[in-house]
Amino acid sequence: MTDSKRPDEPDPTPVASPVEEAYSVEKQIDLSQKSYSQGQLVVRRFFRHKGAMVSLFVLVFVTVMAFTSIGYGIIPNWWDKTFYDAGATVDGGRPTMQLWPFQIGEHPFGQDTIGKDYFALTMRGTQRSLIVAFAVGLLSTIIGTIIGAVAGFFRGWVEAILMRVTDLFIIIPLLVLAAVVGKMAEGIWWLALMLSLLTWTGLARLVRGEVLSLREREFVTAAEAIGTGPWRIIFKHILPNTVGTIIVSATLAIAATILLESALSFLGYGVQAPDTSLGLLISTYQNAFLTRPWLFWWPGLMILAIALSVNFLGDGLRDAFDPRQNRTAD
Amino acid sequence: MTTTTQSDSGQPVYTGSGTPTGDEEVVLGFSDVDVRFSTEFGSVHAVKGVDLKVRPGEVVALVGESGSGKSVTSMTAMRLLPRNATIGGQVDVAGKEVGRLKESSMRRLRGNDVAMVFQEPMTALNPVLTIGTQMVESMELHGVARGATAWSRAIELLGMVGIPEPERQMKKYPHELSGGQRQRVVIAIAISCDPKVIIADEPTTALDVTVQADILDLLRSLKDKLNTGILLITHNMGVVADMADRVAVMFKGEIVERGTVEEVLLHPNHEYTKMLLGSVPRMGHGRGQMGISVKEEVDADAPLAIELKNLVIEYQRLGKAPFRAVDDVSFDVRQGEIVGLVGESGSGKSTIGRCALGLIPAASGEFRLLGENITGMKRSALKPLRKRIGVIFQDPAASLNPRLPIGECIAEPLVVHKVGSRKSREDKVYELLDAVQLPREVYNRYPHEVSGGQRQRISVARALTLDPELLVADEPTSALDVSVQARVLKIFSDLQEQFGFACLFISHDLAVIDLLAHKVVVLQNGKVVEAGPREQIMENPQQDYTQRLIAAAPVPDPVEQGRRRRERHELLREQGEEIVELKVDGEQFHQSAAQAKGEAQVVEVDDDGRTDGTTRR
Amino acid sequence: MLQFILRRIAISTLILFLGSVLMYVLTINSADPLQDLRESRAENREQLMQARINNMGLDLPWWQRYLGWLTGVSKCFVLQCDLGTTRDGSDVNALLLSSAGASLRLVTVATFLAIFIGVALGVLSAIRQYSGFDYVITFGAFLFYSLPVFWAAVLLKDFGAIRFNNWIADPAVSTTATAVVALLFALALASLLGGGLRRQLVTGLITFVVVFGFVFAFDEVNWWVQPALGLPLILVGALGALGFMLVMTVGLANRKILYAGLVTIGLGLVSYVVLGPVLEDPANWWVILALVGVTVLVGAAVGWVMGGYERRTAMVVSVGTALGMAFLIFMDRLLRGWAGFLELAGNRPVSTIGENRIIPERFTGDFWESIFNWGVQLVLPTIVLTLISIASYSRYTRGSMLETINQDYIRTARSKGLSDRVVFTKHALRNALIPITTIVAFDFAALLGGAVITETIFGWRGLGAMFRLGLDTVDPNPVMAYYLVAGGAAVMMNMLADIAYASLDPRIRR
Repeated sequence: MTDSKRPDEPDPTPVASPVEEAYSVEKQIDLSQKSYSQGQLVVRRFFRHKGAMVSLFVLVFVTVMAFTSIGYGIIPNWWDKTFYDAGATVDGGRPTMQLWPFQIGEHPFGQDTIGKDYFALTMRGTQRSLIVAFAVGLLSTIIGTIIGAVAGFFRGWVEAILMRVTDLFIIIPLLVLAAVVGKMAEGIWWLALMLSLLTWTGLARLVRGEVLSLREREFVTAAEAIGTGPWRIIFKHILPNTVGTIIVSATLAIAATILLESALSFLGYGVQAPDTSLGLLISTYQNAFLTRPWLFWWPGLMILAIALSVNFLGDGLRDAFDPRQNRTAD
Repeated sequence: MTTTTQSDSGQPVYTGSGTPTGDEEVVLGFSDVDVRFSTEFGSVHAVKGVDLKVRPGEVVALVGESGSGKSVTSMTAMRLLPRNATIGGQVDVAGKEVGRLKESSMRRLRGNDVAMVFQEPMTALNPVLTIGTQMVESMELHGVARGATAWSRAIELLGMVGIPEPERQMKKYPHELSGGQRQRVVIAIAISCDPKVIIADEPTTALDVTVQADILDLLRSLKDKLNTGILLITHNMGVVADMADRVAVMFKGEIVERGTVEEVLLHPNHEYTKMLLGSVPRMGHGRGQMGISVKEEVDADAPLAIELKNLVIEYQRLGKAPFRAVDDVSFDVRQGEIVGLVGESGSGKSTIGRCALGLIPAASGEFRLLGENITGMKRSALKPLRKRIGVIFQDPAASLNPRLPIGECIAEPLVVHKVGSRKSREDKVYELLDAVQLPREVYNRYPHEVSGGQRQRISVARALTLDPELLVADEPTSALDVSVQARVLKIFSDLQEQFGFACLFISHDLAVIDLLAHKVVVLQNGKVVEAGPREQIMENPQQDYTQRLIAAAPVPDPVEQGRRRRERHELLREQGEEIVELKVDGEQFHQSAAQAKGEAQVVEVDDDGRTDGTTRR
Repeated sequence: MLQFILRRIAISTLILFLGSVLMYVLTINSADPLQDLRESRAENREQLMQARINNMGLDLPWWQRYLGWLTGVSKCFVLQCDLGTTRDGSDVNALLLSSAGASLRLVTVATFLAIFIGVALGVLSAIRQYSGFDYVITFGAFLFYSLPVFWAAVLLKDFGAIRFNNWIADPAVSTTATAVVALLFALALASLLGGGLRRQLVTGLITFVVVFGFVFAFDEVNWWVQPALGLPLILVGALGALGFMLVMTVGLANRKILYAGLVTIGLGLVSYVVLGPVLEDPANWWVILALVGVTVLVGAAVGWVMGGYERRTAMVVSVGTALGMAFLIFMDRLLRGWAGFLELAGNRPVSTIGENRIIPERFTGDFWESIFNWGVQLVLPTIVLTLISIASYSRYTRGSMLETINQDYIRTARSKGLSDRVVFTKHALRNALIPITTIVAFDFAALLGGAVITETIFGWRGLGAMFRLGLDTVDPNPVMAYYLVAGGAAVMMNMLADIAYASLDPRIRR
């Protein structure tokens, strides 16, 4: 600590004698070491999590593949077939992709019953699912965070409403409500909006719980005592400390939405033909299972891959934000 | 070298001094014990070759500050350390080497030969099981008693440790008992199987000072009457002086000094021990200890910083009458004056502090803060007032926002009240960091990078950012180690002398109040018991409760503490209060337990169906 | 406690009411109810449209339509429910009666199975943290959590129904398949029981041999077509149940309670012989229920008489053992009915469409065979639903358990000298279960949603089908009937969870 004094600064009278310094239980502040904020520590821990890294790779790979192969908006396509043009059926529509010797072939995922390229169809479905999932993840997180924070901090009627709406979801299955609103929605963006309006409650409850406990922490009390306004307390002191919960929960919401959207589409209340989605593909070809199994396998595996990797990602994030379970000695 | 002396009660007392010689009975022995933990940041060497022995009827205190490895050392005797611990050396309990025992024999040792009393009575008992179930459990396990017999013996044990109406308590759940009563239950469980040695890990740290004195009395009579050895782990030198026969001082995993309690506390050799003892404020020694001084004279005409008139604060409860936390309290604090607010848990002292900060409303009465009545004041009207008040809380780990760099934490009041420019704020923070003797480089560090005392100094800096006229300090040093506390108190008193702010100093530690306060207000159950100048309250208390409170605070000097303890007992007798002791005949207790265990051993079968060397079928 | 429950009921009723308004409004606005007619080319199109408008009250404002429905429902209080008619004029009451039974059976069975298995797996993987077993369970939980229900259901329909039907026609297990099954069992058990490498090897080897032997023997005696447990297996199973109960309570060493359990098993054997004729073809489920009651009474009596001063534990052990043995006897009888059912079903026992193999009106088998008639159909949807719920229960339980075993009172319990078994079962489990009760309510709602999908795939005419019928035709009456039953079931489940919560945690009892 003594080396920190610069000659131009007034020398504060030392209170601690050399003996006290030598035997102090306080750790010396090691100024030579690089300083890490909590966020940086989290990122470091996250990148050490092998499962999460593999999942991140899979997710990025699938996303890039889905959006570049058949193109999206201004993103150009490199795959020459489309999901709406039927072609001549080759070899009964069997997949041409092989692992050994590796080849992609004309129709790597095969063709559907009328000769459309199934790779293009699957990619299109993946695009739809990803768009809905990420839009819902983002939107419901924003709604949930704000409502949860307000409910936890101000209590009162916002909290009462939040708790009653949560109760509502105990009574009406989410899928049933989603089916009803999904039927109303036209186009995937509307679908995403509608689903967001249904799925924010889980996060709101979590955030409310965290805010309730953080409110009792002394640094929040201290901020209040200083005269800090409520909104500054929420955004500067409380929410930054719930970032872990929010990010993890947003990730898990994405995974849940992938499953919800595909289930809705499967039932016919989500993405509607002539557009397509992974759930819709499975629904269309579920009876072709015995004759053309690939029509069933590809979209299913795609959903599974996305949901699984997002879930693992969420787990990795949880570990990174809350390393309690790994730490053993105190 | 065990000497038998007579205690107050006339029963033989076993005390030892010096290191036990080879042929003496040792109930708990550590030789060259070494513990390492492997963590994600590498290996941590927690205990480095500790030697220690405990004889029957003897209290050995293992003293140290946080991180000294004292608790880890004791846990090696129970073999209950987490899996990532590597243990070296040898630990013997009642003549058995712990490291060589099979798991099943180790289990038979726990509770039976060696029992534990933990720090936190609030969490040490299972919340979903009744007291009775938890009492009976270990007796049935170790064959001391079964079924109905065990139940009645448990009632007997609860009576012994001084719990009123033991039959009724048996059917209660832990949350229905007070902290002191729970700790008595834990002690009752510990002695239920008549162990040869009890490890008490900070047994009174979480308790109020009067309850602490009672529990220490209980433990003392326990070892006197049952001749049980006690390994007392504590950081409190007063507790050591009160209880211990021998003392070992630990620092960073090593024993740096050992000897009889008189040797170590009165004539310490090691620098660390000297420093530690020098950092403890002593009851009855008043001002000027540890180089801490406060300006004695307060301007009698100075304006009032706080003026309370018949203040009542209530907490609303769902479906019940509101709980009255503060009841008809009146006192005042002048500018430049430090007023100590003293009381035990539940006395309402923190509630008054929170009310002063405008965090909870008063139900009735008047609370004038810096001349303005804040009862019923709006949040917006409070804001300019808050600019003139600083605050320090108890828990250094929780009182700083972990996501904000330290500099921003300190500058926060300036930002909130829109004072100064960015540059001038930064300069102010640097100035304050100098004042609390922290290097300026911590500006961009985060709170988790510095330790508890340093964080508390940051809290002090933040409280002083706006040059407040009044400071509310709620137990500012209670969570700190003594050596760290001394330094924070020193900085605090220097700054008070320099800036001359008024201070409402809330604490349960009478010695600290004695050191700092001009005036003392003693609270009990939300009411003022006694108030007045420091000298009057501390040296000549008039009320029974104040007398008991002051008498219960231990001092780190075995001779003086012995005298104080006798005085306290006399005081209790005068006031018609009970002096806690174990109500039991030692001989009979041993006999019945031994008899029961002897019978049990004949039919005892290892519950895994396996046998091992130490079990007789 | 009662006050607590009454308050919950009041809140739930209010929520049920508000939810019904929301559901009604959303449903009637979900699409154009005349869509199909607008697009039709029928000559009497206008007439048909007008008829539907009159029939469904499409010209009325939403609140009048809702009040109309509510009036009908409120007659339920005088036991004269009127849930209205569907668009095509058929009675919703009748529709509901025919569809609710099978669906509720499915959801209830799945819920309890999921809680039981999920909690057990969660506890085991917490106890064996970082073992192979733990990793498998963790990975499995993630997998099932990420599994699209409808996809898994279609897969299972193919493998579990169609291919099983093909196999059962000529059942034979190849040696390789037997070995693989035995190996899986061996790995699971070895990892679960833990211990050193040597001990795990021995456990694994023994398990492998036993399982291999059993499957081989079953194959030899054509057990797959004519299964039964027989007296020896019942006896072994009952002894196992006794052992389990003892281990979970006082340990095997306690002679007194051991004898009480053995006497119970003896009485069980006697009753197996005596009650043989009754069990041959019981009249209905009440007979079975009565027998269960008798079993509990006899078990309790044995415990009472023989328990001595540990009466309560003895009673728990005897009743547990008795119930275990009764279950085995039941299973034995049930299995004996399998051959008959196969014959009735023409060797294709699993139906891919519908909730019964043979419609009940045409069914001719006895009591045991009739259980198979719906029971076998229940298996696959239940597996689908349960798997996903198990995943969440096991994760939550594991987390909760790990949290609990770090608590101070667990350290206290260990320092008394209690064995891991007692520490886990008596001290940790109960505390760990407290937070689990709160997720039961949410999980039940998820299961109800999942049931809509599974029923669709397995072709059940259940509640899910009724809901979809209503939604597809923009007809609120079937949707609301679904809502009433599903919501009511959810409220009931919620109540059970609350009661469980209060009974687990003394701190919230008032």
